[in-house]
Amino acid sequence: MATKSMRQATTGRERASEHEGFLRYQSYKWLKIALAISAVALLIYAFNDVQPKPNGGSIYGYITGTVGVGLILWLAWLGVRKRAITPGRWSLKSWTSAHVYLGLSLIVIASLHTGFDFGWNVHTLAYVLMMLVIASGAFGIASYAMLPQELSANRGETTQIQMLDNLRMIDRQLNEAAQPLDAEGAAIVRMALEDDPFGGGLIARLTGRYAKCGTRTALDAVRADHVREEGVADPYDHVEVLLERKKSSLSRIRKHLRLKALLEVWLYIHVPLTFALIAALLVHIVSVFYYW
Amino acid sequence: MSFIVRTVARTADGRDIVRPKSFDKAELTIGRSPSSDIHLPDLAVTLNHAVIRAAAGGYVEIAATAGLPFVVDGKQSEHARFAASTGADVRVGSHSLEFEPGEGDDKGKVVITVNRVGAISNASEEKEEAQVFSLGHVLPGKRVMAWAGALLVLAIFLVWPLVSIQTQPVDNTRKVAFHADEMWTSGALSQVHQSLENNCQACHVKAGESVRDTACVACHTKVHDHADPAKLIEAKGSPGIVGGIKQAVGGVFGIQPGRCVECHTEHQGKTAMPVTDERFCTNCHTGMSGRIQTTLKDATDFGDGHPQFEPTIRFAGAGGLPMFRRVSLDANPREDNGLKFPHDLHLSTTNGVAQMAKSLGKGEGYGAPLDCANCHTRDATGSSFAAVKMEPSCGACHSLAFDQVGGTIRTLRHGDPAQVVADIRAFYRAGAPRAAALTGMDRRRPGDFATNSQRITFAQTSAMHIGNSEQAIRAVFSKGGACFDCHTVRQTGNPTTPFAVTPVALSKRYMMKGWFDHAAHDTETCVSCHAVKGSKLSSDVNLPKLAKCQECHGGQDAHKEVPSSCAMCHDYHRTAFAPLMVRNHRARGKAAEHIQEKALKEAGTGA
Repeated sequence: MATKSMRQATTGRERASEHEGFLRYQSYKWLKIALAISAVALLIYAFNDVQPKPNGGSIYGYITGTVGVGLILWLAWLGVRKRAITPGRWSLKSWTSAHVYLGLSLIVIASLHTGFDFGWNVHTLAYVLMMLVIASGAFGIASYAMLPQELSANRGETTQIQMLDNLRMIDRQLNEAAQPLDAEGAAIVRMALEDDPFGGGLIARLTGRYAKCGTRTALDAVRADHVREEGVADPYDHVEVLLERKKSSLSRIRKHLRLKALLEVWLYIHVPLTFALIAALLVHIVSVFYYW
Repeated sequence: MSFIVRTVARTADGRDIVRPKSFDKAELTIGRSPSSDIHLPDLAVTLNHAVIRAAAGGYVEIAATAGLPFVVDGKQSEHARFAASTGADVRVGSHSLEFEPGEGDDKGKVVITVNRVGAISNASEEKEEAQVFSLGHVLPGKRVMAWAGALLVLAIFLVWPLVSIQTQPVDNTRKVAFHADEMWTSGALSQVHQSLENNCQACHVKAGESVRDTACVACHTKVHDHADPAKLIEAKGSPGIVGGIKQAVGGVFGIQPGRCVECHTEHQGKTAMPVTDERFCTNCHTGMSGRIQTTLKDATDFGDGHPQFEPTIRFAGAGGLPMFRRVSLDANPREDNGLKFPHDLHLSTTNGVAQMAKSLGKGEGYGAPLDCANCHTRDATGSSFAAVKMEPSCGACHSLAFDQVGGTIRTLRHGDPAQVVADIRAFYRAGAPRAAALTGMDRRRPGDFATNSQRITFAQTSAMHIGNSEQAIRAVFSKGGACFDCHTVRQTGNPTTPFAVTPVALSKRYMMKGWFDHAAHDTETCVSCHAVKGSKLSSDVNLPKLAKCQECHGGQDAHKEVPSSCAMCHDYHRTAFAPLMVRNHRARGKAAEHIQEKALKEAGTGA
């Protein structure tokens, strides 16, 4: 999925790489393993007649529960593992591939562990947290599959620093161009200059909508308030052009920020929820053995 | 006083370029206007922002000209004075103007160092690329959120319940309210245990210890063991590989086999306790006779592994003493109930009995050949039948009337031979010509004695045949006599009471180890199970055999009309009542048929 789109993106002068993404690593080896594990779990569940009804306390329940908690701890270990880059059979790519597919297989294993017996208790809390972690992970994979192409297209050939430098250059020019203006004009231009391209909260980042954009306000003000004569040199003309440029530069940066935010935001759910999940799992296990 | 203005500019590579300029005048202008003495290309500064003047006494004075303030040593003002010797730090817009007394060659002059301190724009300010472009800029760190979330979960779901457990009383003073440890519940309790819903420690007495039987019997004081617990373990036999591992692992955690909760699983939702699964019974009863010394036969499944019924049969033991013994129906047992009663004769649709019943009509409660219900009536529970009583069931036809005094009929005392003998003697002692009806079993139509003419005609006719009291007594107790036809009569040799009648004992309950509910079989007719139409003798045990039941009933998982687990007929805990399953079923579905335990007890105790 991810690699496919990446390949399509690398056309033109660039040489298509033989890159193999973590999703199709070793011809979907881990997908096959995860499917096999899930199938075995499902088969046993189907033929295992637990009385009076399937539950986590049966032998099958204990086995799937132990496998599940082991898997979760191992999956969480990716956070440690990814900080040590090693090649080979247990490369990070292999590890990530396994993380994704075994993580998805938890949907089957943990659901069967519950025996679909839910309630308002800490056990269901652990299950819900796990499903949220998996869902955020799935969102992350989807982001990684789709967004980099868009991100790259938006950024063109520039780097983040270049984008920022471009903005700074426009600001310097704006500052210069506004020098002849009166206090009122200066104040308008300052609105644009004081604009924080990285301002706005999480919502602004994710939506790309910045309600209090100073540049836009300044541009509107310059256009509205100043009737300029044809053919007469007016400092506002230059200011308007610069504001226009700043606006488009800003919008590119903000789109970049939005795409980056979408690429990153899942981790801000995935990681903290994983820790909450491990805590809930601990409580789940302690409580089961405390009152059993 | 003269001024030296040093304007500092920064090159792209960060070097400072200082351009000094001397002013030999007492007043300098500051502003964005290029004509200003100190030109600040700063949009926050007005074209003519302020003026600097040399004041008397070595002072320097700054005054705003456009009404916009500046900052002197951190204080905002529109007019300020300070000693030239001490200097000051003045901020105008994004620029810093540092006033210092000149030194060396410049002594006596005021040096003003002009420096841009604020960035031209927000974007121009120094930014940490990795930081500002990432979400970390607008969100708390993942690590912070992770620890906060984990600690929150632990605090609410682990610490709170633990504190609650340690601080709450475990006895009755514990309040009926929410307790934090309820968040650990694995599911709602069954309906019968609803009151324990907020009292985990009622059953989970000790931390880390599985629920013990002592917790159950604390309330359930009247529950009987199924059998001797040691024998029960023996009866189970080898647990097998899986069971053995389970038992071994359980043993490590202090779980002993045979606990109440093994069958009575809880936390399965707010329902009635689930009916015991068949396997809980068959685990032991399959091949059990090979493991322990028992008279019980092996049972695996009602459909294909149930022994033939063994009703409790009454028979005459040594010396004629009544004895009870369980006999398989396959042995075609004979029952000794002391009665002579041919079912076939009474249930015939063509013979004299049938004709008589038909001709009596509905007004008398007949109108058709006799059927079972003419004699057999349900008991209070509805699940079984009351013992047949002579007076209403037999007496309607088999009258014991023998005399009439005025409008009152005299009858022989049923069930008391001595009284019968005495009454007959008294009747003869009182003398003729009163008529007596003592010839015995000449059939009379039920209700005939209600009509005087019939009665007298009949009585007179019969009296013709009887000479004296002893003859009459002998006639009553001999073949053809009122007693003899139904009862086994023997001579006592005692002249006062020459005859005795073998007592009658009718079984109230044959299936003492199981339970049969007639009410549940109302859709059937009596004869579809009881083959009484061909029964010539009262000693016939007219119970249906296993195969008859199996026509509809199969094991728990059978594809039969009525899948029947063991619990449908048998109760694990010894009681005289209907099995729990039957009671539950009745109580839930049909309020009208609700079984009262007291009535059950009376009905269910057997012969």
